[in-house]
Amino acid sequence: MKERSKAYQKRIDQALATPKLQQALHQFGDAYLASREKAFAGLDFEILRREIGEMKDDVRINHARYLQQFIANAEAAGATVYQAATAEDANRYIADLAVKQGVKLTVKSKSMASEETHLNKALEAANIKPLETDLGEWILQLSGQRPSHMVMPAIHMFKEEVADLFGKETGQKEPADIAHLVEVARGQLRQGYLDAEMGISGANLAIAETGGLALVTNEGNARLTTTLPKTHVALIGIDKLVPTLEDAAKVIRVLPKNATGQALTSYVTWIRGAVPCADGDKDLHIVLLDNGRSRLAADENCCETSRCIRCGACANVCPVYQSVGGHVFGHIYIGAVGIILTAFFHGLDNAAEIVRACIGCRSCVAICPANIDLEGIILSLRETIADKEGIGGGKSLVFKKVMRNRKLFHGLLRAASKLQKPVTRGERTIRHLPLFFSPLTEWRTLPAIADKPLRDVWPKQSLEKPRQRVALFGGCANDFLYPELGTDLVEVMNHLNVAVDYPLEQNCCGVPALYSGDKETAVELAKQNITALLADNPDAVLTTCPTCTMALQRDFVENLKDDPEWHAKAERLAAITVDASGYIVHQLEALAQFKDLPLAQKVTYHDSCHLKRGAGVWREPRQLIETLGHELVEMVHADRCCGFGGSYSLTSHPEIAKQILGDKLQDIENSGADCVAMDCPGCMMQLRGGLEKHESRVQVAHTIELLASRLRLKKSAHLS
Amino acid sequence: MQPIDQFCRAAEAAGTILFKCKDSAEAAAYIAEQAAGDLFLPVSSSCTRAKLSDQLLAAGLNLLPGERARVATAAAGVTSACFAIADTGTLVLESTPEDVRLASTLPPRHFVLLDRGKVVADGLAAVEPLRRMHQQQPRNYVAYITGPSRTADIERVLTIGVHGPKQLFVLLLDNWSNDLLEM
Repeated sequence: MKERSKAYQKRIDQALATPKLQQALHQFGDAYLASREKAFAGLDFEILRREIGEMKDDVRINHARYLQQFIANAEAAGATVYQAATAEDANRYIADLAVKQGVKLTVKSKSMASEETHLNKALEAANIKPLETDLGEWILQLSGQRPSHMVMPAIHMFKEEVADLFGKETGQKEPADIAHLVEVARGQLRQGYLDAEMGISGANLAIAETGGLALVTNEGNARLTTTLPKTHVALIGIDKLVPTLEDAAKVIRVLPKNATGQALTSYVTWIRGAVPCADGDKDLHIVLLDNGRSRLAADENCCETSRCIRCGACANVCPVYQSVGGHVFGHIYIGAVGIILTAFFHGLDNAAEIVRACIGCRSCVAICPANIDLEGIILSLRETIADKEGIGGGKSLVFKKVMRNRKLFHGLLRAASKLQKPVTRGERTIRHLPLFFSPLTEWRTLPAIADKPLRDVWPKQSLEKPRQRVALFGGCANDFLYPELGTDLVEVMNHLNVAVDYPLEQNCCGVPALYSGDKETAVELAKQNITALLADNPDAVLTTCPTCTMALQRDFVENLKDDPEWHAKAERLAAITVDASGYIVHQLEALAQFKDLPLAQKVTYHDSCHLKRGAGVWREPRQLIETLGHELVEMVHADRCCGFGGSYSLTSHPEIAKQILGDKLQDIENSGADCVAMDCPGCMMQLRGGLEKHESRVQVAHTIELLASRLRLKKSAHLS
Repeated sequence: MQPIDQFCRAAEAAGTILFKCKDSAEAAAYIAEQAAGDLFLPVSSSCTRAKLSDQLLAAGLNLLPGERARVATAAAGVTSACFAIADTGTLVLESTPEDVRLASTLPPRHFVLLDRGKVVADGLAAVEPLRRMHQQQPRNYVAYITGPSRTADIERVLTIGVHGPKQLFVLLLDNWSNDLLEM
């Protein structure tokens, strides 16, 4: 294992051994969602974020023009503008300026850009004291740490630690009372603003129309920092540029709501030019930082990231972040967007571990105020890093030599079904694995490979005049782990007078290869599946696994876009691919056929990430469950990831996956349901495995299985 | 709901203390009651027109000169507001003159006089007067203020009054000013 990977693993273990951290991040995550909903009441988030996305795309495409306009207007208002190509360049300019002006002390308000460039170190090296005045940043400065959140930098720290740090500053014991500690900070930092010769701030927006900056803050330290010292240096990334004041107002309308759930921060400060200061004018320097931003904007796969307004919401809702915090899941910038920014600002090497830490649940994509497909971009980065570093010999061999050869792959799965007998003892689940595999079954059971795969037990169907003929894309789990799910689907469809075919040439959807960065194998598998599934020209292609659905609907099209002939076929397949629940509710309009179950259960529904945030399906399964007559009881965090994530929970990050599963199991148990339903074999594997290990009485079922059991019940009632 | 009512609701939700006054004399009396010490009152056309400084002196208050070190010792700053934003409960202060910034950042209390008629609907509606401010003067420092200074940086517990004012008072007046750009 690389040194880098060892250090990373150590950080994960440490974070997971700090339950107080997880508790804090979970509490914040819940409170954040509640206040965010209130803050956005009456507004259409989808429209707002589309607008921001389009505006920022315009800025990216016409960047040179807006930048020129900004600089011209800022200079006309008396500002000095410096364009820094790199972090070192920005630091050198600011330190040189401070030395030239004889500055001894600078006060700083919060600036992620200065964290990015390690400005404090550069100032200290020039014998200038940087004093952080944002409360969180000051706490971190005193403790020698870096931020673990972009908006709440010291979110990982506790009041007792803060009291100790402050006590060292004041020379007396400070009680761990938050109101008192805030008062201590006010008193300690006050004189700094009056003494400092230079104030350094960040900025949230640079407005081309005016040449001005906007700062969105709560504490009031940025107002003091930009008012009292004679010199003001604003360090700002060139991606913060917006064309007009209206555009700025639109970003400000969304930013605090999405960052912390506040309608607006206490202060929004608009500064244009060298305003009056004491007896003269302010000496205003605007340092425009590139440091990888132009490369990001020019990158075909990642350029959407330039839209980011740095609200930090992608971390707030991330189950991985909530499990390990920003010191593991981030470098300087944290969370989903942090992975991408790290790769461009701090180099691929610093992003190589965290790019694999994303579980792919897309909760960040759903909450992003700039409509960035963060998960898609992280996948493409994973591919870039895999090209550079390789994806590991064993894995690579499996993908290239085995999966691409369907007969070999399926032959090996059949052989494994026989070979596993000693560990399964003939049962359907594996409770303990021997030797070095044992950690895999310590916290959940694993499903055994079925005796006979779905393709071998595919039922004969005798519908006289079916209303539709569809093909099932089973995916590996449905085919080899849960064949009964496939036969249940046939039963349900036949009842609705739909004939289902199982094209035998279908292979793995390719997601495991794609998520590991092996696009070549994913492309080969896409072609095999397109050929197999379109061969008999079905009316629809049904899926029981939402990750496969996303592969068929999105990834095949995306990965074949450079090949017109295959691309057209991929689009045809995408157009007719639909998840089974959605098909029943929308295409067949057959909800009513499942009415009234005599033996109803309390059922809770778990939203699979790729079904809700990929296919946009979450109402339909609930409608089906309620139509059956079951009592639907919602668990809290119903759409939070279960921690499966394919190889994420098996090989790459099993410890984090276990943590996320633990949260989910608690939510399921607390719902009081008899059964948890879902529409994904991966989630079934994870949740069934976890619930079995905990000897829970809660059953796990695919929605299709609930429908099929209803039909069987009806039939047996008829017979008796 | 009238814009002023929406403003009041949102401002109170953000921790602003509201007081309705029938005239500036009543405002001065209220400030005298709440200020708990010396005041700093920067020059502004609406305050000058109403002779607010005379009224504050008459109410027994001491007014400090505009020196930084002295303002830092003031118990309260008193300013007018150009206008307010209804949906977020926000005050807009043309703060290019440094005194306005000192009055609204250094003392622990900030009193703001606002004409009840000068309220725009939301942040987008505020852009028009904001743009005019930018056109009127070549350099600007414009402050949007919503409630007192706050932080949640220690254990995410909302705490009021970190670096800026701990209390924000808005004194609502009629016939105080009818120009959205006038301080």
